[in-house]
Amino acid sequence: MSSENVAENTDKAIIVEGLRKQYGKIEALKGVNVQVDRGQIYGLLGANGAGKSTLIKILVGSSRPNAGTVQVLGLDPFKQAAALRRQIGYMPQSPALYEDLSARDNITFFGAAHHMPNFKGRVDEVLEFTALSSRQNDSVYGFSGGMKQRVSLACALIHQPQALLLDEPTAGVDPQLKEIFWQHFRELAAQGVTIFISTHLMDEALFCDRLAIMRDGAVLVEDTPKNILRRGHTVVKIWRGDQLDEQVITNYPTELPGVLQKYHFDPTVTRLELEEDTLEKIMLRLISAKENSPEQTAVQEVQHV
Amino acid sequence: MFNTVVMTQRVGKQLLKDRRFIGLSLVAPVIILYFLKIFFDSLNSPLFNTTRYVMPVSAFIVHFLTYILCALVLVRERTTQTLTRMFVNGFRRSQIILGYIGAYTLLATVMSLIVLIAVGWMFNLNYDGWRYLGMYLVIWLLAVISIALGILVSNFARTEGQVFPFIPLLILPSVFLSGMLISVDKLPEWAQWVAYVTPLYYANKLVQTLNSSNGSLFDNGGELLALVVYGLIIILLAMLTLRELD
Repeated sequence: MSSENVAENTDKAIIVEGLRKQYGKIEALKGVNVQVDRGQIYGLLGANGAGKSTLIKILVGSSRPNAGTVQVLGLDPFKQAAALRRQIGYMPQSPALYEDLSARDNITFFGAAHHMPNFKGRVDEVLEFTALSSRQNDSVYGFSGGMKQRVSLACALIHQPQALLLDEPTAGVDPQLKEIFWQHFRELAAQGVTIFISTHLMDEALFCDRLAIMRDGAVLVEDTPKNILRRGHTVVKIWRGDQLDEQVITNYPTELPGVLQKYHFDPTVTRLELEEDTLEKIMLRLISAKENSPEQTAVQEVQHV
Repeated sequence: MFNTVVMTQRVGKQLLKDRRFIGLSLVAPVIILYFLKIFFDSLNSPLFNTTRYVMPVSAFIVHFLTYILCALVLVRERTTQTLTRMFVNGFRRSQIILGYIGAYTLLATVMSLIVLIAVGWMFNLNYDGWRYLGMYLVIWLLAVISIALGILVSNFARTEGQVFPFIPLLILPSVFLSGMLISVDKLPEWAQWVAYVTPLYYANKLVQTLNSSNGSLFDNGGELLALVVYGLIIILLAMLTLRELD
């Protein structure tokens, strides 16, 4: 990417263009394009094998793409690795911790390479932030999956990075802890930290500011969760005694009030029911769409608008 | 330098926490030496020169054990993704390799000392202090090289299972071709070249010099230098072959 483009895109924390990655005969990424604003929580939603982890590994500079360009915080992850790594925090899919060491030892070790002033105080801060202070000196070996994830998050946060790249950080985490994690992410985003997060959980995707749905190494759709939800259908079931009529609404916020008003004043209508598509249903429909099917073509067209 | 120290501290802390590993690593060579003593005692032949073989075999035991102990370390780091995390957190290849060598050298230092004390006591070796010191230096150097060799091998394996074929591949030629059992001069020329690339060849030469009456380590300065250079090359290769990218 030219320096001109870098200057043009200073508000962008991540710019990915035409990214391709091949593992032998398997094409893990097929020309992915992504742009993430600074301070945004950007979600990558997709099933296992969709290419999410590969994309994150390229962003942190631990896997080289076969084609395409990448910029994270205006830096090339391969040519400017040292400068970039001072500013990013990475949480791999597995906890990636030394289980024989304590939570504090792990955080201290991974953070030490950043040569921060008042390092001990900073370790205390992240331990508190991730609610690990009371277990800081216990070996990670005895921790639950959720606690290991918290230690892993603390290791990614220790040097106060400007961008966090989190690969399924809440996998195997109970709902209560998941809520705490998202509270942390929101707090960090409010402080201007860009968060790039992969997940295969639909409910989590809705917490993101922007979302890309991936399948087989390609981005199927990229938009705000709200707009993606708008792509779903709302079925209005109209009962007139035993007789059932259905009306499909594709644009929930604009069409629904009118429809409801119409049937509300119809004396023959005995009952009204709304059946709304969930993000899960929308995504399942997207990922089950065949290659070059009209539906997918439409999605791709929307994506390029 | 700071990151290397941090790395050494972390690995050292892990080693110290694993008391069973430390215990077995230090006891194993003594047990093997005891079996060696039983074997040599059973030969009971005036023609067999025990002193000719005891110290080279002791050096080999340390070489073998330290090599095996280190052959898995970086594969484990790779499979658990802690290696990726280290790189992303700013550790460099040289810092990781030197940090590992630093921590395991502490273990090798103690192991070499225990082996030397055990072998001297079990076989009633009549060496003076300087000769013991020379022997210790040779065994210690060989141990450090073995650590680096183990780490180098670890770099070439993607899984822990892939490490195992490398173990006999590097160790067995040392046994047969290093001059420990028969003189290298008696080997075919091509096999002599194989001998030159085993560290045990240089260590054995130094040990034999120290074994001879009035022999000093510096009588064979070329071999000592070769052993040091060999170690530096292996460390450099370990740094260069450590893959940062998937």
